[in-house]
Amino acid sequence: MAEKILQVKDLIVNFRTDNGILRAVRDVSFDLNKGETLCIVGESGSGKSVTSKAVLQILANNAIVGGGEIIYDGKDLLKIPEEDMVKLRGDKIAMIFQDPLSSLNPIVKVGKQLTEAMLLKSGSNSRNARRNFNGKLQLLIESRNAIATTDSQRVYNVEQCDTFNNFCIQSTKLEGAYNEKHRAVEELKAEIDEKLFLIEKKQNVKITAFLRTILKQFPMTYHTDLVAENDETRELLARVKNGMGSARKKKLGEDTRAAIDRINEILTAALEKEKPNYFTLGYYMYKNPGDMATIDAMELHEMNAMTRKYLDDNFMLAFIKESAEAVRHSHDVSIAAKKEVLTEMDSLLTYFDGEELDRKATGDLLKEKIGHVEASIDRMEIVKDGAQYTFGSGITHAVDEYFDAVKNNPKEIARFEKETAKWQQLDAAGKTPDWKVVPAAVVDLDQAKENIRTVIRTLQDSLKRDIDADPSFDEQEKTVALIDWLKEQASAVVYRISKKMAKARAIKLLKEVGLPDPELRYNQYPFEFSGGMRQRIVIAIALAADPDILICDEPTTALDVTIQSQILELINRIKAERNLSVIFITHDLGVVANMADRIAVMYAGKIVECGTANDIFYDPRHPYTWALLSSMPDLDTKEKLEAIPGTPPNMIYPPKGDAFAARNKYAMEIDYEMQPPMFAISDTHYAATWLLHPDAPETHPPKIVTDRIERMKKRAQEAAAKEDI
Amino acid sequence: MTDYEITAAEAAKTEPAGDVAVFRDDEDILLRVEHLCQYFRIGPGRELKAVDDVSFDIKKGEVFGLVGESGCGKTTTGRSIIRLYDITSGSVYFKGERICAGTRSLKNQMKEARKNGDVEAADQLKKEIKAAQKDQKDTHSELMNKMQMIFQDPIASLDPRMTVREIIAEGLIIRGVTDKKTIDDAVYRVLDLVGLVHEHAGRYPHEFSGGQRQRIGIARAIILNPELIIADEPISALDVSIQAQVINLLNDLRKELGLTIMFIAHDLSVVKYFSDRIGVMYFGHMVELASSDELFAHPLHPYTKSLLSAIPLPDPLTEKARKRIVYNPLSDHDYSEQQPTMREIIPGHFVKCNDAEEAKYRKELGL
Repeated sequence: MAEKILQVKDLIVNFRTDNGILRAVRDVSFDLNKGETLCIVGESGSGKSVTSKAVLQILANNAIVGGGEIIYDGKDLLKIPEEDMVKLRGDKIAMIFQDPLSSLNPIVKVGKQLTEAMLLKSGSNSRNARRNFNGKLQLLIESRNAIATTDSQRVYNVEQCDTFNNFCIQSTKLEGAYNEKHRAVEELKAEIDEKLFLIEKKQNVKITAFLRTILKQFPMTYHTDLVAENDETRELLARVKNGMGSARKKKLGEDTRAAIDRINEILTAALEKEKPNYFTLGYYMYKNPGDMATIDAMELHEMNAMTRKYLDDNFMLAFIKESAEAVRHSHDVSIAAKKEVLTEMDSLLTYFDGEELDRKATGDLLKEKIGHVEASIDRMEIVKDGAQYTFGSGITHAVDEYFDAVKNNPKEIARFEKETAKWQQLDAAGKTPDWKVVPAAVVDLDQAKENIRTVIRTLQDSLKRDIDADPSFDEQEKTVALIDWLKEQASAVVYRISKKMAKARAIKLLKEVGLPDPELRYNQYPFEFSGGMRQRIVIAIALAADPDILICDEPTTALDVTIQSQILELINRIKAERNLSVIFITHDLGVVANMADRIAVMYAGKIVECGTANDIFYDPRHPYTWALLSSMPDLDTKEKLEAIPGTPPNMIYPPKGDAFAARNKYAMEIDYEMQPPMFAISDTHYAATWLLHPDAPETHPPKIVTDRIERMKKRAQEAAAKEDI
Repeated sequence: MTDYEITAAEAAKTEPAGDVAVFRDDEDILLRVEHLCQYFRIGPGRELKAVDDVSFDIKKGEVFGLVGESGCGKTTTGRSIIRLYDITSGSVYFKGERICAGTRSLKNQMKEARKNGDVEAADQLKKEIKAAQKDQKDTHSELMNKMQMIFQDPIASLDPRMTVREIIAEGLIIRGVTDKKTIDDAVYRVLDLVGLVHEHAGRYPHEFSGGQRQRIGIARAIILNPELIIADEPISALDVSIQAQVINLLNDLRKELGLTIMFIAHDLSVVKYFSDRIGVMYFGHMVELASSDELFAHPLHPYTKSLLSAIPLPDPLTEKARKRIVYNPLSDHDYSEQQPTMREIIPGHFVKCNDAEEAKYRKELGL
């Protein structure tokens, strides 16, 4: 199963307005897996934007989060303090807003807005990575020391981890330098190719500027493993410099042209070269500083093999073996603790069955139990388990709610009775009071207790899963994963962005999102751009921080088709490159087909249907999905469109029963009485409509939808047949 | 400087080439646009050619779709036709009468003739310029009332301080109707037509949803019984479920009132569904013009192909396999030897191309 990166459970968001409480999101739950795109489709006012804003905790001031949880990286985003949220927002979870005009600062140049976050985050990222790296390494040392028997062994452990730390950082430094140069080569080559193409097409090219770029950029690509600085390169540069004379006449001299072609060849060759293994090389250089001669004399693959063997023989194999033992030990300890906690939780469950609970005693008991749970977590694991990490905050919240209810319910009932009595008194006296009795907000104690039990049971399930998985635990594999993780952190420690680099990256991003003349545009203000261009800048800003989760709130609604499809391709490509998870919010089902792995259709604050893209498009079940599909023409549509009559309901007064019933021509009587539950159609496909109930009459989607599905299936078959030939 | 910004001196040089045969010999032609050019001054000596030499005609009862990416000049074309701008050169004929005329190209020709010492031609051109200026000045307001516009943004295009009745009746009042009863009757009639109820007349625009506001915009456009409606992206600011309502409404009105519609949009699926003929614009030029079925079945110009390849479809399987064609005017055309003109490849299907490309397109169609 794919790794869940974000879980939203039973989210409820309300807004206080002058007219009453607006119920914007009502019990929305979904999961987001790593590297997948989840599309949320719905009309304006269906609560899709509110859901995404709740994830980022940027809801308007009058919003009340009524309940639920949003779990990311073992934390419940609804409960963590703002200081922690700041670290996630924009950095780990980024958002592209709907309105590009209001999400850009009008008095700051675009370039500054693009690089601002990069520069600010660069330092803190590096510090964070350092903390993570050191913390994990310290844990590793502790855990190795725990199984060590002699003092000398302990000293050896510390030494080994120290070696690992040093050479890991050194090799990532080497690799970083190489990557930078590699990027410079790529950029210069792209520049030369573009300009030569334009010259060939007899377009106006500023030749002096072009030659100057080569003169400036080419020496920047010098690196022993890419473009070696030697007599030839110096001579080539001299020839390019000579070309400046004739360049004034807007012409490229023959000799200069030849020199540029040669430079282009060198760059192409550099790009085709194999990349040295810097991790192993780093170790060799760390152990033999100053021994460059041996390395330089060797061929690349030879060197890779040699350093690899050197690392394995001298360090890595032993390091992995010993660390694996430590990982095993830590795991065993944790499993034993988990087994204990599991039984403790059983007793805790029975404790909450008791009738008369004392708040203070319960609090003390909980503190102890939470301590046990936290101690039982295996800190050497890289993947954090949501249920175990959030148990503390979750259960405290649930228990507080219960005791608050115990305390407040009698007060509330007393107030209600008093007011009702007063009202009745006035009513009996023949007066109509101009106020109404506010209904008593009584919390169901049983339900509150049940909530507590659910938190405990979720934890138990998670613990059981871990204990069951114990026999298949492979410490070797885990250790390698741990080392990979450490390497990743090390590269983040070394990676620091200078102002110059930030500018280069910003310009590259602007180019990537398809903005012409990025160098010129870099220094302009937002008002100098058209709507489509502004949107692309907003996308570039969101991507600049390299987030884990990207939330796109109707990013292409304001754009025309060509740019829309460019932007969608861009998001798709970046998603694949960076293994990004995307939440894509839109009302355009056409866009969704290209992007989505899974789709959730929202209406009036609820998810009414959810499934994979194929489920939704080829086998839609909810009448609202049918209506959405039939209300937009595609290229083969000839018949009259089936518009959805009316407008969405006012969510200050949410309708009883199914919210879509009033606009639904398939509505049955029960739709006006009761909200339909989620019916499962398959493992991935769910829909909330009474039509799926076994007692419901058989209904079929409107003809326009079935026709289209037929056509699509036929087209797919034809395409498949074509491929077979 | 971007591709389509040029200096005024250069602008004078690149004048519209000879006569174009995109017009149909038909008595039912309602609107004819000839060599329409609309340039905007964007600085000392610099001009932006928003629309450059665009010609087409619209038959009575037809829906003419105009598509292209944002900034290609389709909205400017619509606004120029309805005289929200004074056009730079070219002429627009509505019901056989010239309603707007620009003089730039004529003046340039006159200068050229004077330079060559051709006094007779120069005098002839001078007369033409005078006539154009007269036509431009004296256009019949009665005639212009027969042409109305629906704007893109239903929120920005309705005055928030006027009631719906005032908004809809404004055109009538300007035309001199003072009888309250007549006005009310007319307002109620169009409210019925667009599917709003009579009570709505007393309300203000902010009390309506987006789709209803667009209906008010449509009601305002049809109260003067126009023959031609220029609809500038009337649905792009609306929700999907509402979009279908507005498209259906426009379709019904077209049948009931016999309207001719010029439909400007960038959503190609909707344009295909709604229009009879489609013109494709790119950077101020019309690059392809054909009936909608023909255009989608046999797109010829590389830009049209790239535009069609970008349409998103509600079909995951084909969508995942879809390949977008990228249009690069520099590599797709070779105009070093001959400049392109509008040419008819098969009856009713016009493409901007030169000799070599014409031969290529004919081959593509198997002619």
